[in-house]
Amino acid sequence: MSTFLLILITGIGLGALYFLVASGLSLIYGLMGVLNFAHGSFLTIGAFTGLWISTKVFPNPTTWTFIAAMIAGGIVAGLFALLMEQLVINRLYNRHIDQALVTVGVALVVTALLAGWFGSDARLFPTPLWFMKAVTIGNAIIPIDRFIYIGVAAILLTAMLSILKFTRIGLIIRAGVENRSMVSALGINVRLAFSTVFFIGGFAAGVGGVLISVFSYGVSPLMGGSWLIYGFIVVVVGGMGSVTGSAIAAMLIGITNQFANYYLTGLGDFVVVIILAAVLLTKPSGLLGKVSN
Amino acid sequence: MLRWKYSRPLLIAMTLIFAVLPFIGTNPLSKAGLQQTMAVAFLYGALALTYDLLFGFTGLLSFGHAIYFASGIYVTAILVNTFNVNLFLAALGSIIFTAVLATLTGAAALRTSGITFAMVTLAFGQAGHVFISRDFGGFTNGDDGLPINADRVPDFFIGVVNTKYLYLLALGILAFIYFAAWWITESSAGRVFAALRDNEQRVSVLGLNPNRFKLLSFVLSAALAALIGAGMLIVSGSGSPRYAAADTTIALLLMVILGGPVTRWGAVLGGFLYSVLSTRLNVLGEGTTFDSLPKFISGPLSEPAFTLGLIFILIVMFAPGGISGAYYRARFKYLNKGK
Repeated sequence: MSTFLLILITGIGLGALYFLVASGLSLIYGLMGVLNFAHGSFLTIGAFTGLWISTKVFPNPTTWTFIAAMIAGGIVAGLFALLMEQLVINRLYNRHIDQALVTVGVALVVTALLAGWFGSDARLFPTPLWFMKAVTIGNAIIPIDRFIYIGVAAILLTAMLSILKFTRIGLIIRAGVENRSMVSALGINVRLAFSTVFFIGGFAAGVGGVLISVFSYGVSPLMGGSWLIYGFIVVVVGGMGSVTGSAIAAMLIGITNQFANYYLTGLGDFVVVIILAAVLLTKPSGLLGKVSN
Repeated sequence: MLRWKYSRPLLIAMTLIFAVLPFIGTNPLSKAGLQQTMAVAFLYGALALTYDLLFGFTGLLSFGHAIYFASGIYVTAILVNTFNVNLFLAALGSIIFTAVLATLTGAAALRTSGITFAMVTLAFGQAGHVFISRDFGGFTNGDDGLPINADRVPDFFIGVVNTKYLYLLALGILAFIYFAAWWITESSAGRVFAALRDNEQRVSVLGLNPNRFKLLSFVLSAALAALIGAGMLIVSGSGSPRYAAADTTIALLLMVILGGPVTRWGAVLGGFLYSVLSTRLNVLGEGTTFDSLPKFISGPLSEPAFTLGLIFILIVMFAPGGISGAYYRARFKYLNKGK
């Protein structure tokens, strides 16, 4: 029972990290039809910014410096996303394949740039000491960092859903996911929604990058690529353009991955691909995806 | 007609010249080092062409093509090492295995289209990469790579003095793939592939089943990639999980974009140039060429992916069609001069 609880909560924690990567991907794809291969770079940029804050700016890690590292990582990654959208994506308006290709190029360049500056080896991410502690629930001992991932992801999920639900720009984004040409036909500036979505997606990925550095004990230029693939899987399973769908799919995949890794000795990654294949064969638009227009 | 009337004789002449150069007199190609580099570059040129068949000619953006290449490498190596099968039969076996694998995965992935198809093939490719690098079932030897048992490879492919035969093998595979790609794209099925890329709805209105033709293109390009994989196993001597990684497919994409899609020779040239460039840039990066520059410039410059990634972005944004596209634009202008 205690093992079960530990695996379950670890799975939810992993799912929370997947959600941070996938939510932005899903919104960007849903609104603009852009398959963003540079999303992994947003994550890496966030992680390196967080590392810089918690080693160079504040050498003694406390809870507050960690929060500062997360916010800084999110903002820098968000600004980079915005820059990329303005300089590159915007110029290839409606050329979806070219947009995807150009993000592949950006991902290559960012990875090589960071590898050239900092080397490819992973660097340790300093955290406040209490991150290493564990709590006891029943008779299960659960490392405390899991709850941090879940908490941060829950806050960002609530924030994203509130923006989508209660603000004007959120309304435009939701309408744009539904039918973009109709929104522009009504004379509403969709470009602003594009930039917003890129910033939000970059922000979530940047925060995710800082948390992933804690989860995997290090920061490296190559970390973005491997998490990006899980992000894609979560997006396809959850349905394009749906933040709630991403959250559900991220949990589903995080939990299944952990259970399969424990009970099927390391087969987690395969089970994830099998889930993906099963969803595609039964409901190609994903769990909460709408019929493609 | 944009095609130059001497292009076919030129291709045949080039193949023959490349084939005899290592065997006559002293020239740069007499050196085993360059022969090895060229052999690998020929194989990547051929592999880029199989990817072009899928991406350029049929319009299917797959991010899992590398797995079929790796399947050719690994199935051949496993059949030869573990099951003691003759090398050439093993290569044939790997092609059949890959065709079956591509039929299954392709049929599942083709339930989606466009960008979703790209993501799904990426996930399948990743599963294959994990399978190879984690060594499930003890077949693939994990991250250490799987060397082929040299005793079961014909003697004329073994040793530095015989590198010229590896070079010939690679050139032969390239010539075969080029011919196969020409035959496929000029056949009536090839016309349907192009029609699918340009207007899928029109194809189904004409009474043809789009998915069946997409699957055909997918399986054909995968089977050809497996053949090149078997060649790569002989040329490089061992399999490695990096051949199956998503990075390899992304490299193929770069090659096709660099050389220009849908022209056949463009993809081959792109693959050849990419392979030679990344080897040369690596050598430059490890040498002292960039040492006089400040660290924040010399660091990224010593990473080939930085330069290649920048070239790639610039081509996609400002010169779609790559090298062959630029050539045909210039030729079009030349032919229309004075009209």
